[in-house]
Amino acid sequence: MQNDIVVKARGVKKSYSDNNALNGVDLDLRRGQILGLIGPNGAGKSTFLHAVLGLLESEGSLEVMGLEPFKNRHELLKKVCSITDVAVLPKWMTVEQVLEYVEGVHPEFDPKKARSILSKTNIKNKSKIRTLSRGMTVQLHLAIIMAIDAELLVLDEPTLGLDLVYRKEFYSQLIEDYFDGNKTILISTHQVEEIEGVLTDVVFLDKGEAVMSESIDSLNQRFLELRPFADNNEKAKSLNPINIRSELGRTVFLYEHMDIDKLSSLGDVRPPFIADLFVAIMSQSNESGGQS
Amino acid sequence: MKVLITLVKRELQEHKVGLIYAPFIVATILSLVIVLVYFGVADIQTKDFNFSTSVYENGQAVEWMRAATVDQKVAVIRSGLIVLGFPVAFVMLFAVLSYSLGTFYEERKDKSIIFWRSLPISDLETVLSKVFVVVFVAPLIILPALIFLHMVALLSASIYFAVSDIVPFTWIWNAYSIVDWFRIIFSLWMQLLWSLPILAWLMLAGAYSRKPIVAAVLPLVGVIAIERVVFGSAVFLATAIERLQPWSLMSSFPKQYEELRVVEIADIPLLLTTQDFWYGILISVLLIGAIVYIRSRSEYSSVE
Repeated sequence: MQNDIVVKARGVKKSYSDNNALNGVDLDLRRGQILGLIGPNGAGKSTFLHAVLGLLESEGSLEVMGLEPFKNRHELLKKVCSITDVAVLPKWMTVEQVLEYVEGVHPEFDPKKARSILSKTNIKNKSKIRTLSRGMTVQLHLAIIMAIDAELLVLDEPTLGLDLVYRKEFYSQLIEDYFDGNKTILISTHQVEEIEGVLTDVVFLDKGEAVMSESIDSLNQRFLELRPFADNNEKAKSLNPINIRSELGRTVFLYEHMDIDKLSSLGDVRPPFIADLFVAIMSQSNESGGQS
Repeated sequence: MKVLITLVKRELQEHKVGLIYAPFIVATILSLVIVLVYFGVADIQTKDFNFSTSVYENGQAVEWMRAATVDQKVAVIRSGLIVLGFPVAFVMLFAVLSYSLGTFYEERKDKSIIFWRSLPISDLETVLSKVFVVVFVAPLIILPALIFLHMVALLSASIYFAVSDIVPFTWIWNAYSIVDWFRIIFSLWMQLLWSLPILAWLMLAGAYSRKPIVAAVLPLVGVIAIERVVFGSAVFLATAIERLQPWSLMSSFPKQYEELRVVEIADIPLLLTTQDFWYGILISVLLIGAIVYIRSRSEYSSVE
């Protein structure tokens, strides 16, 4: 089981002169998981992903496939791929040149696969990257990443600034053509609703700390959302929900560790969306923080 | 080896205008000028210099060449060819300075550093590949341009002298041996190793500053000014100028090594026996180490 751990973080910290970006993050990422790192701006998501990729030095214990990332970045990047910003491919290069370059420096890159993926797009081999739209540049980047036989893929807001069509395409391509049980994906995004269907696990990050780390299955069992019928609101309230919110004129109650049979007689019951759960957990944590 | 070739190819693709096109453009323009001059289409007439473009009108030059010994003729042609190569080499040296200043700045400016650093290439490999390009590859690239230029010059001169009843074929093609081409390249390699502290300094400025020209020049001006005010001397300035001097295009090494002539290829490695050369290499190693350190901790600082 130990061999299955791809990323192991214990008390990972990173401080800048004016703030603590990471405040002791604990996290385990296992082979085959697609883990979503969810958090507000400034929660430390990018900092953590950059630490995983060895792009910055952090304190605490951080192992990626048994290697300390910052000291072994070169070795690590043979097994780890990443998209950590949108449209960062060198604009002066042609598509063919960038494929040749990656082929020359990456032992696990399959140029035939990349060309085959690109042949299904509007991207021409002779095109200069600066002439591609933002969406096409990300498509090209994804084609390169998908043609690398890496064990871990790290994606930091990979679709930021793209329109809906490209975002949908990005994730469907990622899951249908790339992901198999042996690959592991660590992803952070603001557009949680777009990826929650593909995630196997989530970690909620706030103020540089992991405030919750669960599998989606476990979350679905642990949390339930109730939209009570009109006259059941008081009954629902009496069952100690952890969060109450309004949605299109209806009140929505969120429960933790609640028997589904108790709720189903009161209204519509379903597992919460991750985004809603995140907001609820954050407000709960802020309240308890405020009280303490 | 495959990685090194890929890294070098990438640099040449990015800087093809300065490192590849510019020397060829200069060589082509010079070739055209030579052809025009030799075959009488254009004139070069100044107060101090008079070279008739018409073969039959330049009787003085023709007479001199007719009367000259073979050794004198060879010396004239050889000197001419060496001088002819200067502009090409100058363009290359200028391109190398510009490349050094821009290479680590541009990748931060367009954020492509994020992509480069997402691939399994260490910062040390990247930095060394760029140093390798400026010191060894850039001079090699001008070799075809030089050969082309010299061929045009030799052919033009052959025809010029042939029609002037000076049989050129017995000596003119001996004037410039293949060794001379490699002597030029070899001396440029040594020149760039000699100037490496300056090049590495420019690279360092581009690696950390948002204004690399200011970061490259201001500290040097500061040191020069402080030295002048405090010690009343100008050793630092003299050293910097000495490192920048294109001595490889002259006949000798910088001033204190004048006894080491670079005309003969065998003399060039003598620079390796001098202390100053190795001081320069040591400073370059320290500066290159600083570039690697800064790049490895860049944390994607944008220069926008």
